[in-house]
Amino acid sequence: MMRDPLERKVDDAPRQRFLLEDTGFDEVPPKYRRFYRRWRGAGDVLAPNEVLCPVCKVVIRSTRELREGDRVYCMPCMSRLVVVRAADGTLEARVAY
Amino acid sequence: MSRAPADVHQLDPRAFREEVHSFEFWFQSVTGYLAGTCFGQHEGIPDEPLEPAERERLVTVLCNYCVGETAALEGASGLIAIAPDRLSKVFLATQVADEGRHLEVLLNRLAQLGVAEPEQEIERRASRSLLQFKRRLLSLVAGRDWEAALLAQNVILEAMEFTVFQHHARGADPRTRDVLQGIVKDERRHIGFGENELGRRIQAAPHIRARLREVKNELDHLVLETFEETLRQLGLAASDRPELGRHYLETVARLGFE
Repeated sequence: MMRDPLERKVDDAPRQRFLLEDTGFDEVPPKYRRFYRRWRGAGDVLAPNEVLCPVCKVVIRSTRELREGDRVYCMPCMSRLVVVRAADGTLEARVAY
Repeated sequence: MSRAPADVHQLDPRAFREEVHSFEFWFQSVTGYLAGTCFGQHEGIPDEPLEPAERERLVTVLCNYCVGETAALEGASGLIAIAPDRLSKVFLATQVADEGRHLEVLLNRLAQLGVAEPEQEIERRASRSLLQFKRRLLSLVAGRDWEAALLAQNVILEAMEFTVFQHHARGADPRTRDVLQGIVKDERRHIGFGENELGRRIQAAPHIRARLREVKNELDHLVLETFEETLRQLGLAASDRPELGRHYLETVARLGFE
């Protein structure tokens, strides 16, 4: 598929890395807790390493910046998801059955 | 369990499914939010007095929650026998434990509200629509119809409970709120299991969607009517009510039921 060179440049850039800390999310075993946090509602802003689970509305977090095509898991609702670009240009997660 | 990977999203899909459907995963998850509670309530949660009319409405609402939880308890336990694989059977065993707990903590809350004979009270106050839904769900389980029973229980019933309990918890007295918030945490697993399992089945055999659509059309209005009534009982403004349907409609849309 043909892609805009500028877009490719952005996608090829090294990904930001993130150190995840426990946010108090307690619905998964302790070793997985840092990968999730509660959605704080309409005023909440997602970081570049976060997407919202469409199934259960928990925020999924990764140790790296997320990009289109990435796979993420929502352990609280046991869903496998793929990161896609929404019509408004933001990243969102889509369930992959 | 094995050590957590540096990033959980790097897990192999098969390893992920094994992990989240395991009894061990369930046990460590529920321990995180239920440890230290008694009948789903944390120590020291105040018992806020309710006006008589408010108490009366709450008792009716909790009685109907008990009907829904009993339906899910009986449904999930029956589904274990017809589940197509080990992972589903083990997951459903954990769901049975969750549903049994939900029923127990709701009955305990009714007792705290002064309901001496909760079983009789539930029978007296139960919504006819919800009872009709329960009978149909259990007939689908008895008929060994895995997909239809899962749609009825883990998609239609659980998705609506998930939304209603969250709404109710926001405006509830502290003890009821504590109980409902714990239940909602369990419900995340139940709705996720239902949607993902059905999604996989429909993807593998798209022709089953037409039959499931008929089941959905037959049953979803029964649950929707009940929970619309519940939201009215809770005094939720009419303008907030469409959200009840929205979560459910988003779920069924992802499964291809437009």
